[in-house]
Amino acid sequence: MSIHSFPFPFSKEEYAYSNNSSLLDPPWMITVTDDYKKEIMLKRKLLQQNHDRCFRSLPISLESQWEVLRLVLHQLAEAYPSHFSLSQNGKEFKFQNHLLEEEVQFVFRDNASIDLEPLDIVGRHVQEDLILMGDRSDGLFLEAGQLCFPSNWSLTFVLGMEFKSIHYPVPGIKDSGFIEKVERFISRIGPNTAWERKNWSITISEKLDTPLETYADWGRLRKEVTHENAGEMVHLRVEVQRLYRLPINHDILFSIHTYLLSLEELVQHEQWLKMFYENIRTLSSDIADYKGISQYKDEVIHFLEKTMDDKEKMIR
Amino acid sequence: MGLRQYSLINDPFQEKSEFTIAVKNVGTKEGGSAFLHHHVHTGDVIEASGPENFFPVRTEARHHLLLAAGIGITPFLSMMAFLKGMNQPFELHYSGSSEHECAFYSTIKENYPDESTFYFMKREQKERELKKVLEDQPVGTHIYICGPSSFMDTYLSYCKNLGYPDENLHSERFRPAKITQKPYPFSVTEKNTGKTVQVQSNQSLLEALREEGIPVPYACRMGVCGTCEVNVCNGEVIHHDTFLTEDERKEKMLTCVSRGKGHLSVRV
Ligand code: FES
Repeated sequence: MSIHSFPFPFSKEEYAYSNNSSLLDPPWMITVTDDYKKEIMLKRKLLQQNHDRCFRSLPISLESQWEVLRLVLHQLAEAYPSHFSLSQNGKEFKFQNHLLEEEVQFVFRDNASIDLEPLDIVGRHVQEDLILMGDRSDGLFLEAGQLCFPSNWSLTFVLGMEFKSIHYPVPGIKDSGFIEKVERFISRIGPNTAWERKNWSITISEKLDTPLETYADWGRLRKEVTHENAGEMVHLRVEVQRLYRLPINHDILFSIHTYLLSLEELVQHEQWLKMFYENIRTLSSDIADYKGISQYKDEVIHFLEKTMDDKEKMIR
Repeated sequence: MGLRQYSLINDPFQEKSEFTIAVKNVGTKEGGSAFLHHHVHTGDVIEASGPENFFPVRTEARHHLLLAAGIGITPFLSMMAFLKGMNQPFELHYSGSSEHECAFYSTIKENYPDESTFYFMKREQKERELKKVLEDQPVGTHIYICGPSSFMDTYLSYCKNLGYPDENLHSERFRPAKITQKPYPFSVTEKNTGKTVQVQSNQSLLEALREEGIPVPYACRMGVCGTCEVNVCNGEVIHHDTFLTEDERKEKMLTCVSRGKGHLSVRV
């Protein structure tokens, strides 16, 4: 990850959980970075090895999946015309991915014209994980998803769940009515409109795929962090999350683009180092637990303080 | 002519980039309909905002029942095309004063012969028949009602009495366009800090409070996310948001868009 394109999530020197959403113009759900090929290959490998873990859908989501397929291909071609193109002849579509030298053809809303479900197809051409939330008369429900790079959650577990229930594990948000507000906000997003927010956590090692199902493999690394290896092992993980209202089916597309930056790289940016340090230092213990940071928080603080000290000395 | 809102009547699945609306000429001189009928010509440019959807089809329904009166038919034209395209079962009950007065009569008859029933009869008889229809629906039916408000009120309350859950009842009220008045300055006392702040006419309450060092969190600054809410202790509020419920408005306001009249006191 190049430090120049990393979406640094903090703007304040203190941690607060909030709905820090901003309106996106143009309302594009995707971003192509330098890591495109590498991440797409990893995604496809995961999908091949563990399809059930990485893709799930309910039958009711199919129409919206079609809408997402067309929308995302359209946006790719619009945002990156030298990398992708999309042509249409009546209901027949042809998508060309010039980066991968691939072509996808389909007849819109004709299930016989495709081998995989529409969301499963389009997800293989973007770095984002794609989640479909059905906007039902009694709430928002997770109805389909292609999720290869989850931060400690499981698609199998949340499929069909209501938005509120999915988020109750976040400490302190149940009683404040916060999650109901976010749900209301989402349910009022207008057609063709997109909102973005950034969410952060920490991953030990440079690993994008950290599903709950393989916790045993990556979770134990948390115990191995010392102030000496923290710079290399500890990564700030930022999810750029976007929400979009599908105009035809009125459901919500949720895209998650995950970025990782090692602390070693992060601390080169003076301002980021300070803000990150203050945010970690002021993190309440329940949020630290929720984000899985408690185990090595002291080691990280030690590393950051030492780095700041060293920098000071150099200036003097 | 000011702001007006009209239903799109297109088939959502048509692959054309155009929007179609239908406007009945109701004859009043200053009305939007008269303006569109008499003063707008092919080739004129009209400024329009993007589409909104306050009356969505609920695809989780087992069956859809559409109840229209008069020009209330318009939103159902695109809904029916959508439902037909999705292969979902629906029925339309459309009442008007006469066949001649009934907009889109022949189009509907032609495209949805098995799904549509028309009512050109006296009110009492129409009510009797429609009520029978409503009584006799499978579990999981969603009802959509659009027409004059007396029509909507009658059938909404009838459906409620029959025991339809609120989530299954949908009605499109033509929302009055928001009147944007000239913002006036006002003053605010924040109870926790005891500070009194002047809010200029070119400034939001949110900005004024933050400039004074009173930290109100915010996100959208458009009155749609609810982040910047404060409690109102005293004074009159002019609400400009689209987020708070009527109940919440009694004690809360969103500082990014809503304003006070004269003097307000709030608690952050
Ligand atoms: S900041 Fe979103 S409602 Fe005020």
